[in-house]
Amino acid sequence: MNCEVCQLKELEVEHFEIREVLRCILHTIVFHRALGLVRPKDVDLELFDVTYVQCGDVELEKKIDEKIEHFISWVEKHPNKKSQICLSFYEVKNKQPYWFTNKIERLYWEQWYINLNVAQHLKAHSSKSHNSKVVVDPGEEERIARRAAVEASLREVLFQIIKFVNEKKDHVPPIPNGDGVVYFPHEITIPSSSDSAFGMDMIKRMLQTGHPTMLS
Amino acid sequence: MAPSHNHSHSDAAKMEQIITEFYTKSLHIILESRTPYVSSRNFSGEQIMSMSMSMSSPSSSSSSASASASASASAASSVRPRPRDKWFNLALRGYPGAMENLDLWHHSNPEPMVVDVVLVQRPLDWDPTPNFSPTREEIVIERWVLQYDHTRKVKDNHSSGSSRRSSNTTLHTLYKKSMLLLRSLYLTVRLLPAYKVFRDLNSSAQLRTFSLAYHVSSVIEPFPRSAEAEMQRFGFTPVETSAGRLCLSVLYRSSVLDLGSDPTPLTPQVIPDYVGSPLAEPLKRFPSLPVAGLGNHGSPSSLPFSRRHSWSFDLYRASSPSVSFSPSPTHSESNASISNPASRRFPPTSLPPHPPGTSIAHKNTTSFDEYCPSPTFSPSPSPSPPIYIPGTHLSKDLLRSESAPVNIPTTRLSNLPALSNKQYLPPSPPIKSTRSGTLRTDKFAGPIQTGAAVEQLFSLGKDDNRKYFGTKISSNDSPRISFSRSSSRSLQDDFDDPEFDCPFDVDDDDMTDPGSRPGSFDQKGHISQDAAVGDLVRMLKKAPPLCPEFSSSVNVPQASGSEIWSSSIQEPRPAAQNAVSASVTSSGLVRLKTTADALEELQGYREMKKLLLKQGSKSYT
Repeated sequence: MNCEVCQLKELEVEHFEIREVLRCILHTIVFHRALGLVRPKDVDLELFDVTYVQCGDVELEKKIDEKIEHFISWVEKHPNKKSQICLSFYEVKNKQPYWFTNKIERLYWEQWYINLNVAQHLKAHSSKSHNSKVVVDPGEEERIARRAAVEASLREVLFQIIKFVNEKKDHVPPIPNGDGVVYFPHEITIPSSSDSAFGMDMIKRMLQTGHPTMLS
Repeated sequence: MAPSHNHSHSDAAKMEQIITEFYTKSLHIILESRTPYVSSRNFSGEQIMSMSMSMSSPSSSSSSASASASASASAASSVRPRPRDKWFNLALRGYPGAMENLDLWHHSNPEPMVVDVVLVQRPLDWDPTPNFSPTREEIVIERWVLQYDHTRKVKDNHSSGSSRRSSNTTLHTLYKKSMLLLRSLYLTVRLLPAYKVFRDLNSSAQLRTFSLAYHVSSVIEPFPRSAEAEMQRFGFTPVETSAGRLCLSVLYRSSVLDLGSDPTPLTPQVIPDYVGSPLAEPLKRFPSLPVAGLGNHGSPSSLPFSRRHSWSFDLYRASSPSVSFSPSPTHSESNASISNPASRRFPPTSLPPHPPGTSIAHKNTTSFDEYCPSPTFSPSPSPSPPIYIPGTHLSKDLLRSESAPVNIPTTRLSNLPALSNKQYLPPSPPIKSTRSGTLRTDKFAGPIQTGAAVEQLFSLGKDDNRKYFGTKISSNDSPRISFSRSSSRSLQDDFDDPEFDCPFDVDDDDMTDPGSRPGSFDQKGHISQDAAVGDLVRMLKKAPPLCPEFSSSVNVPQASGSEIWSSSIQEPRPAAQNAVSASVTSSGLVRLKTTADALEELQGYREMKKLLLKQGSKSYT
């Protein structure tokens, strides 16, 4: 099994849009990978005219929301930075007799990289509202145009996910049986407080995963 | 028969079942999100618990466990799901009727399943006679094509063990890939433009000129070239099986909403300066307020002027952008987004003509009505809405101007709701003064001020002259008979002129300039006018139920006030004006009030109000 990696198109979002955008993307990916029985739940975004689907699992929703909150607080500490969220699916392998690995090994078979560029325009908005004198001032029009652009980009990303899922099906492991898990084990990695640590996480994960050819 | 054959036979049967169910499921997914009123969105309940054991899919063993686990977590509803619902681990609600005859499509049927989603447009006045549908239009906005291509032969040359394993694997893989494809389909149907139309139809209870219909067939009817040019194609990766491949694709129009469907509602706009309930509610207590008449004519630019000349208060405008005087300065700042810049900025010394003439007429006629609410500023319990004052900063000024004397007109208004509007024209000056400089009014309570108040009262009646009149007054600093004459003129004009402005309208430019208070743009004149107005206000407060707190302060003004009113009651307006002038000149007269006088005045107010309302309605029409 090889690890398929999908780099999603970068989205330029504003701070207040992060939550909705991330929820939409993460749930869309997980819905594709929730191959246990699901009761799909349609969710309409508030900021955009987009409807996405959740797999209806409350715990998963909580987990995702938690990660999003972590990410948002990270973004607040590191403004105006391009950030990346990694959603990885793995298989849990039994302990392998490798001296440098942990007991439980994770074999990542798919990784999704959500690329966000969070812009900070909050203050501009608030100041503009006081000075607005006409029905739609230039700031408002700009905002509407920008919002439409973000919506179009979000749709593109969703279609990108759908296409990727369609094209690459062979690497998906067999559906887990009987343990009540609706979805494949996965983890969401957000950038940690420092870039170097993030890089260290990547290295750690590489060590855990090992090279595919090294594994049986 | 070798065991492998049996196995392969059963596997083939299973495969056929999977593919058949795939057709069913994909149709279900498509129709569920394209057929209004028959979709999972309209179902609130959950289903399924009972169906977990009826699954016959290869992965039912795994799915049932997870099904029960997940089903237990969800609320059960009375909706009984069909047995098919759990196929491909995708539990769907609802069951479109078109799926009854889906046996046509199965493993060996080479014909495609073509689902056309049609946008049907018809006028609202569509005549339901069979032969009548002149403008009924049907446009195919989506075409889904699902086909099972028999491109490969089944390979039966495996050993029993391996064949079983490989068939199982094949089946499992097929099922897994079908699941993935259906998941993608489920998401895709919600991302295509037709979904917006569907959601629109589902969510709105309004009668629409369009609707969605579908058509399932096994024949692909080619589109006209023009239509095909507007369509885009999205193809799902086929699912390979040992016997062929499942191909699903969609042709869709990217611009569905342009096809004459109802215009999408305006995006809700945040109203940054929305004025809250204090505006709306007081108005409601004045049934005579011809709010409806005003309609939404109040363009932002008109509002400030209406504020000036009258307490033009529009219930609709209440929520519209004009700056409204509200007890809370923040409210006034949160007017509708369409607030006009002019409304925010008031020329401090002049009364610019209203750019929208109609709005002036509107507001003028309703000036009194709105004026009545104006005393809201005062702490009185009157529900009158705050006066709209363009310019958020004005509200602060107005707030400052509020003080006890303002209660006089306020409570009076509250006690005489029927008289609210037109009849309060005379009292308007007091209100105005309260609005604009109550403090000063307090200082100058006294008989001398009565005349000034009255003259100011009448002077304020004129839109364009008010300010100037005020200027005159200010220059003199004391009431004059001449003023009263001009004021009487103005009063007459006020009565006759459909564009009557409440003399007590707070001049917004006055408000802009704290130094310039009602009617006058000179501080001196301002003070005297305020005092006069305040006195007059007190004068008018003589009804027993009214707050008696001011009654002690001014007997004289009250007396003269009552004289004015009683005279105006009985005489035609011009005569009333003269009487008023006369009484103004003899402002020193003191007379005790009696209940009878009060009642008499009340009657007079009613008549005046009726007259003014008539005039107001005339001006509207």
